[in-house]
Amino acid sequence: MRITKEAKKKTEYKILRAAEKLFTKEGYKETTTRRIAVEAGIAAGTLFNYFPSKETLAMSLLAEKLALGREDFTRRLTSEESLSEDLFLLITSELRRLRPFRSFVAPVLETTMSPFPKENSCPAGQDSRAAHLDMVQKIIHNHGLSNIPEHISTTLYWSLYLGILAFWSSDTSRNQEETLALVDYSINVFTRTISDTSL
Amino acid sequence: MAANTDNNKKGLPLDKVIQAIPEGITDAAEGADPLRELISQISTRKIPVNSLTRLWALGSMQAKVAVGYLAYAMRSSFSNKTEKQKRLNEAHLKAALKLLGTMGYLRGAVMKIGQLLSNMPHVVPDEISETLERLQFEAPPMHYSLIREVFLDEFGQEPSEIFASFDKKAFAAASLGQVHRATLNSGEEVAVKIQYPSMASTIRSDIANLKKILLPMKLKKESRYIFGHLSDVETVLVGETDYLEEARFMIKAREFFDPEDEIVVPKVWEEYSTDRVLTTDFLTGKHAADFLKTNPEQSSRDHFGILISRAILRIWGRAKTLYADPNPGNFLFLDDNRLGLLDFGCCRTLSTVEWKFQVQAETSLLNGDHEIMNRLIASATLFKGPEEMEPERLELMINLSKWQAEPAMKPGVFNFGDREYYQRGIDLYMEATRKGYIRNNSIYIWWTRLIFGHRTLLYRLGSKIDYHQIYMDERNY
Repeated sequence: MRITKEAKKKTEYKILRAAEKLFTKEGYKETTTRRIAVEAGIAAGTLFNYFPSKETLAMSLLAEKLALGREDFTRRLTSEESLSEDLFLLITSELRRLRPFRSFVAPVLETTMSPFPKENSCPAGQDSRAAHLDMVQKIIHNHGLSNIPEHISTTLYWSLYLGILAFWSSDTSRNQEETLALVDYSINVFTRTISDTSL
Repeated sequence: MAANTDNNKKGLPLDKVIQAIPEGITDAAEGADPLRELISQISTRKIPVNSLTRLWALGSMQAKVAVGYLAYAMRSSFSNKTEKQKRLNEAHLKAALKLLGTMGYLRGAVMKIGQLLSNMPHVVPDEISETLERLQFEAPPMHYSLIREVFLDEFGQEPSEIFASFDKKAFAAASLGQVHRATLNSGEEVAVKIQYPSMASTIRSDIANLKKILLPMKLKKESRYIFGHLSDVETVLVGETDYLEEARFMIKAREFFDPEDEIVVPKVWEEYSTDRVLTTDFLTGKHAADFLKTNPEQSSRDHFGILISRAILRIWGRAKTLYADPNPGNFLFLDDNRLGLLDFGCCRTLSTVEWKFQVQAETSLLNGDHEIMNRLIASATLFKGPEEMEPERLELMINLSKWQAEPAMKPGVFNFGDREYYQRGIDLYMEATRKGYIRNNSIYIWWTRLIFGHRTLLYRLGSKIDYHQIYMDERNY
């Protein structure tokens, strides 16, 4: 029997919602793919037709939230922001959407968004990275401020960004306010670096 | 000595800070005084001008003042050593100052401590006090995107959803944050003080770093006490990060004043306040510098001198609390001649024991009871009795206490604009610092800060007032 594209999307959506519910309710480590399949009302084997592993499933969930964060960012823009403010708002809008999943962001991102090349990279992770960096480059170009080659600014930015995510995932301060200060400081360092004409 | 001419052109009197550092030994290997050279290096750092980095410039200026103070205090503690020991100490000092210079580029306690130390007259000669005052007013650039995030965390809503209007640009710097003007939906004009994220942990880590910097000083018996002082500074500054605590104190202090007192503590809007955001009534008026620019009549200078003194003494008497941050930015001279008290973040409330001790000290001074006074001075400087103190130290401490108490003890009009009186206080403090007499109960850091803040402000106003009468009216024992 051929499964229509629409039915496939529907099942994928059901799996993601089941995973979201169980990850936040029972914890990432504690949740098995079998349990997610039961919650989604599908056979255990069917789940693997959609997501080859629990990590890729979790990354798809996070990618979905990161995309929502980028939508929030676009909606919140007032066109009065400086480059630093734009980048700050992009990151914090994403983090706010990721907040319910903070407890398992680190292990998932470590395997799916690592800056080190991997044989079995996760498409959702790679797509999410590309979408985020695309947004960053658009912001930089809109402000016309970069004085260094794009691939260098991208690498610099990505290392800062992953550092922020790593810090945030284990930030125990109230409302992760230490991360807020870190984002502010890091983005200032980054924008100063790329707009430095003496480089 | 290489002062920064660029900075001097901009009116930052760094050379004055450097001049405040006493001459030291010369490091023959480097062919120059390494301390002066280092401070010059720090001071000649490029001062960034764009909005992204203004705060760092501000931080570094404060750090330079802190450097000036620490270098002064540390060098004093290295006198009477062998050349070898001196060189070793200079190496420690150099490393410490380098680290301190770096810390000045971080937001947080160093900036605050620089501000705190800048109230010490031996670091800040008369000529540069105005510049420092200006620095205390400059709003650090916490951009609006950051403000929005703080609001989402604190209220679950953005400023535009909470207020009828909200100025995106801050109008003033505040303790550990900045202040924005806004209008409530009900129409009231308010001042919204917003704290930079994570200040408490920054303060803790910066003070831990400062303690590390000062570690070589621990070897000197007298200098050990600075560590106790730093812990007290940490407690008060971390306490200052809790805006709800400040709100509670403001609500209490507001009740201390009746309309005829002409002293206003702004109303707190509790529903728009959290421990990181404090919303109060917006007051309009002038700060001291702008007030003085209007060339006010003597009667007006006296009037505000009376109000400032009464406000401080009433809070002291009623709440047993030192209004420990009497910098000019915290007083607003309202157009209708009332005085606005703006910031209650840095207050130090005395314990019952500390209060009893202070009452005893003031009573013995009033009664001229020298024997009790000497005993209390010994106790305040952590000696078992006056006989344990060197006569020189005892005499200096007596003179300092008398200088502090002089306006309260002398019936009739006291001229706070008298240069001789003000200079005498500075000289006494300089002498105490030069001799390394920093051994005392930590409460006196705040006491000194309050007294000097008050005396400096009234000196600049040139107020001639019956302080004795105000003191007698307000003493609550």
